[in-house]
Amino acid sequence: MTADAPIIAIENLVTEFRTGGGWHPAVRDVSFAVQRNETLAIVGESGCGKSVTALSIMGLVPPANGRVASGHIRFAGRDLVGLDEEEMRKLRGDRISMIFQEPMTSLNPVLTVGFQIAEALHYHRDMGRREADASALELFDQVKIPSARQRFADYPHQFSGGMRQRVMIAMALACRPELLLADEPTTALDVTIQAQVLSLLAELKAAYGMAMIFITHNLGVVASIADRVAVMYAGEIVETAPVNELFARPTHPYTELLLRSIPRVDRDTVGLSAIAGQVPSIGAMPSGCRFAPRCPLREEICTRRDPLLVKLSDPGDHQVRCWLRAPSSEAGHG
Amino acid sequence: MSTLALRHGSSYALQQLARAFNANATSWIGLVTFLAIVALALLAPLISPYDPLDQDILVRLEGPSAAHWFGTDSYGRDILSRLLWGARLSLVISTVSILTAMLIGGIIGILAGYIGGRFDMIVMQAMDVLLSFPSLIMGLMVVAMLGASMGNLMIAIALTAIAPFARIARAPTILVKERDYIEACRALGYSDLRIMAVHILPNIIAEILVMGSLWLATAIRIEASLSFIGLGVRPPTATWGGMIREGFENILDSASLSVFPSLAILLVVFSLNMLGDGLRDAIDPKLRGGE
Amino acid sequence: MLGYILKRLLLAIPTLLAVLTIVFVLARVLPGDPAQTILGDQASQEALENMRHRLGVDKPIGAQYVDFLLNAVRGEWGNSLVTGKPVVEEVRNVLPYTIDLTVTSIVLGAVIGVPLGVWSALRRNSWVDYLARIGSLLGLSFPAFVSAILLLLAFAIQLRWFPVISAGRLDDPLDRLRSLALPAVNLGIIMAAYVTRVTRSSMLEVLGEDYIRTARAKGVPTRAVIWRHAFRNGLIPVVTVVGLYLGILIGNSVLTEIVFNRPGLGKLIVSALNQRDYTVLQGMMVVYAFAIVLVNLLTDLTYGFIDPRVKRQ
Repeated sequence: MTADAPIIAIENLVTEFRTGGGWHPAVRDVSFAVQRNETLAIVGESGCGKSVTALSIMGLVPPANGRVASGHIRFAGRDLVGLDEEEMRKLRGDRISMIFQEPMTSLNPVLTVGFQIAEALHYHRDMGRREADASALELFDQVKIPSARQRFADYPHQFSGGMRQRVMIAMALACRPELLLADEPTTALDVTIQAQVLSLLAELKAAYGMAMIFITHNLGVVASIADRVAVMYAGEIVETAPVNELFARPTHPYTELLLRSIPRVDRDTVGLSAIAGQVPSIGAMPSGCRFAPRCPLREEICTRRDPLLVKLSDPGDHQVRCWLRAPSSEAGHG
Repeated sequence: MSTLALRHGSSYALQQLARAFNANATSWIGLVTFLAIVALALLAPLISPYDPLDQDILVRLEGPSAAHWFGTDSYGRDILSRLLWGARLSLVISTVSILTAMLIGGIIGILAGYIGGRFDMIVMQAMDVLLSFPSLIMGLMVVAMLGASMGNLMIAIALTAIAPFARIARAPTILVKERDYIEACRALGYSDLRIMAVHILPNIIAEILVMGSLWLATAIRIEASLSFIGLGVRPPTATWGGMIREGFENILDSASLSVFPSLAILLVVFSLNMLGDGLRDAIDPKLRGGE
Repeated sequence: MLGYILKRLLLAIPTLLAVLTIVFVLARVLPGDPAQTILGDQASQEALENMRHRLGVDKPIGAQYVDFLLNAVRGEWGNSLVTGKPVVEEVRNVLPYTIDLTVTSIVLGAVIGVPLGVWSALRRNSWVDYLARIGSLLGLSFPAFVSAILLLLAFAIQLRWFPVISAGRLDDPLDRLRSLALPAVNLGIIMAAYVTRVTRSSMLEVLGEDYIRTARAKGVPTRAVIWRHAFRNGLIPVVTVVGLYLGILIGNSVLTEIVFNRPGLGKLIVSALNQRDYTVLQGMMVVYAFAIVLVNLLTDLTYGFIDPRVKRQ
């Protein structure tokens, strides 16, 4: 891993949504950084704020009821928070790209896939129609869509789910972005297709030297693709560690439960333990540790005070937000 | 349209309606205006200043005055009184025909959805063809062939409104039919009719009310249009369409004769459209769910 | 595309059959005895027999049905009982007026309604949006003859900008246009109301779709997101409504033609009604049946052009 400055560094990001008259944070005080050629997986249940984090980076938080309230998103040294829309647009699809979860609905049904891939090249590289088409055709080959030339002028409905996701990937990679955000790119696909798309993503990431933020609710997928993992719960990062470390020593009770809930072929399904309760809605966050109401280890302090994300002594890049598993130094003084 | 979730219990339907009204001032304004018009129509025998058929040759085609607020027509009849009585006729014809269409359409839709297969296919195709007939042309044809009378007018209007209600009733029927608990209900000895009533009605009641109010507006429009053409209830009975016809024939002499009934029709149709539209905005999950 | 067009044409045949059957049922089965309807209650038995024979309603109902279908398709709609002229000729004489009127109204409705609907959707909950919504709801609350009378009062009688009788001569372009203006505006405004509403709600729905977010994530400029990515998808329901409205338009043109005293199918059908001209009435119904099928066909074909998914089905 290179030791130079991270391509993206997020500092204390707070993204809020308006519900029932008030603004409530969907992402609270999130910080992380990703190096070039590194993959960070953000893991959590739906509604934990992982997609909102990605949309905040893209500047695509719906302005009607959402906003980045505070914090910084430093991309290649430039703060994206507060950047005007036109500057942001120039970055999107060029230096930062995103792949979405639903390949069925994320492609425009009335435009050919070839056009949809070439479009980014047209806007960002100022290419003419013919030149953009030629580049798009190359991308077809790179994402391994068979008989690319014939399928170039086809429409999305003529593709299978897996093929559509390849089209999405080709679209996102058209301008060779430095950062790729992949929001549950394989969730909607069959298991075999999932594996193919994952290895394609890993391969292309290595070939392009991109940084990747891979968002998923499935820890099983994480092991095969990520270098580091950040586990999110109710808008906060509760644990972050290198992937091997996390699997070897899951420290936050939530991470532990998540790991246990991965279905495994070598185990009977009886062992599959769903986590009791539900993610709190953003309008009704519990005080103290947000996981406390569902936590089997809950103690009195948990519901009283917010835990901080603290480094475990060894190794230093493992951080946990839990009063019991990672008592912060401040705790004693409080 | 495809993502139709099933709900149960009549309380759900009521909640949905209550929420729809609260969310939307338009539906309130529409409802209050419409109810006010209904009240005026009901009270017509008590409040109308003259007999709607009383002619007074001395005051023909007069403009608004203290004695005749909205003026008089070419026979010297009081326009306000005729408007009030015309409202009764208009409301009765449209309400009866739409209720009939609701009932018949609802039964057809539920049967089609419940029986399924070829029957469903043929019936719904027929409904599509029926739907493609413009309601006014359909009304024109029916009344032209059957003759102009109040009953035929109702038949004509009901005929044009069956298809949309059949569609509304069919979709949830199919969903309900596929659920396991229907088997359970049958095993418990509930009749098909009861199953349908309990499980389907709560799902479509809101949509039926929306469609009902919008189609009531259409029915009033068609009735007035046919009366205007001369295919409505025969004169001298006061109908809004007929009054406008008379006003139109005397348009160079008196504008008020056509303007007041025109405004009356516009007001009632607009109020019903506001009601139906407001409700739909609030109920339609596609429009509600977005930001 | 050609295959799609052929398929649609073939599919139009059963629709035509169904629509004509409805017309047959209305014309022959429902009213009992058309001869009685035409001649009235005082007609002699002999006159009734003659009339039945002349109309061909003395044959068995099955034979009548076959005759009816064949004649309808062949354009042999009989002669008017009043003028004695072939019904086809009567229709042909007034058809240009009705076509002028409907086509102009559609164009007017689309030209006003589509941009207004898009604008209203993009400025959701702004005053533009509220005005457009209330205005369009009001517009479609107007029975066509009510709006026609109000237009007539204002612009022909009070202001005298346009003729009271809109029977412009077809060979004089200026006259033709002047007499078209008010009737076309009348129908065009109502049409615009429908189009505005459906364009607005359809655009709102489309703008919330995932693929719009994808387009923005690609860095496509807002203008292109709206017009290239959203608009074409948003147009699909608009086509449905325009198709449906064409039917309503045919009905409304009857009322408009009466108010503006303009020749056309509507005037023809009303005078046939008043004179109990049974053959003309029946011929008119066949005309409307063809019109309905044609409108459905056009709507389907337009889908084929806009939505690539349709062609494949």
